[in-house]
Amino acid sequence: MDIFTLAIWIGTLVFLSISLAKDKVKTKQALKMALGMGKGMAASIFSIIFAIGLILTLLPPTEIASYVGKQSVFLATVVAALFGTITLVPAFIAFPLVGTLVGAGVSIIPAVAFLTTLTMVGVVTFPLEKKEFGAKFTAIRNSLSFLFAIVIALVMGVMM
Amino acid sequence: MTVLKRIKENLFLVIVAAVYIAMFIINPAMGTESVKNSGYYIKEMLMIMPVIFILTALLDLWIPKEKIMRYLGKDAGAKGVFLSFVLGSISAGPIYAAFPMCVMLHKKGASIRNIVIILSSWAVIKVPMLLNETKFLGLKFMAIRWVLTVIAILIFSWISAKLIKDEDLPGEVLTQPGLHINRNACMGCTLCTKNYPALFEMQGKKAVVKAYELESLDLELLQSVIKACPVHGIEYSKN
Repeated sequence: MDIFTLAIWIGTLVFLSISLAKDKVKTKQALKMALGMGKGMAASIFSIIFAIGLILTLLPPTEIASYVGKQSVFLATVVAALFGTITLVPAFIAFPLVGTLVGAGVSIIPAVAFLTTLTMVGVVTFPLEKKEFGAKFTAIRNSLSFLFAIVIALVMGVMM
Repeated sequence: MTVLKRIKENLFLVIVAAVYIAMFIINPAMGTESVKNSGYYIKEMLMIMPVIFILTALLDLWIPKEKIMRYLGKDAGAKGVFLSFVLGSISAGPIYAAFPMCVMLHKKGASIRNIVIILSSWAVIKVPMLLNETKFLGLKFMAIRWVLTVIAILIFSWISAKLIKDEDLPGEVLTQPGLHINRNACMGCTLCTKNYPALFEMQGKKAVVKAYELESLDLELLQSVIKACPVHGIEYSKN
């Protein structure tokens, strides 16, 4: 558990005890509400998680990386951005991977496109986001994020 | 018919399950591999989601609507934008962990722009991630990407707010007289049907209001049920 997750846990537990001391009935209601939220999202979250497992098996990140490394910058950027879009890879896998890519002399434009779309744009999280925020919000947020991920990558390619 | 409806409501889950079944039949080794790959994400989820749900419910309970509106609402201006970046940056967990928190904040008056900022910074520039990035790609790489990402989020959150209206998000209940449940928002937690079974019942995965007489309503109980609804999908107005 990283320190931020730990801090959120500790902060929430402190908050919970204060809440419990101040108003037992309301706190109980809040806990029930939390459970309700969890139940409502559980099916969607498990679909996301198992979909990621599936995608990582069908499209292993290391193979994608070696493929990207051999392509032209343009094609590499498109493939990297699309791959980042359809999956969610934890930072501890993504950063070393991108680090090796850049170290091997691959342009940083696809690397940055990959890093940004990886976490910000999500095909697997789309159904859940749509359920929570509506189709319009989800479509606009994801397409703008994708677009700006490419822009960030291009600007970084020029700057570095 | 209800089976078909249930499949439609959980289409994504059904597809994922179908692919797994197909995979286990055609190539069991790949199936096991996929389950193993999912393991890390399950751990990640279990570490963060319970606490996020509790924190969201507690904040919902104790922070008054006016406060959220003042600090994160449409008129919060630069202060609201800054606060949203801070909120997203000190977070933990994957982007979907931000969903319940942002839905709650929006219902309590946070603006679309600030919601987009929190979601985006939660996803891409949170502090633990930046530390990791520095380790593998260097400080200069991280710093430039951080600055560009912040600028990008500032721009596209502004565009999003121009394109999306508050009404586009589910959970905006129309203020009509009587008792209403927003079916789009309802996620079938059954909290209302458990607390007030005389008035609410489940139809499939959604709660509905039973036929009722105005005089027989237990208004106190109803108010507590309305407050307890995790998605604030129940609305009651007298006339």
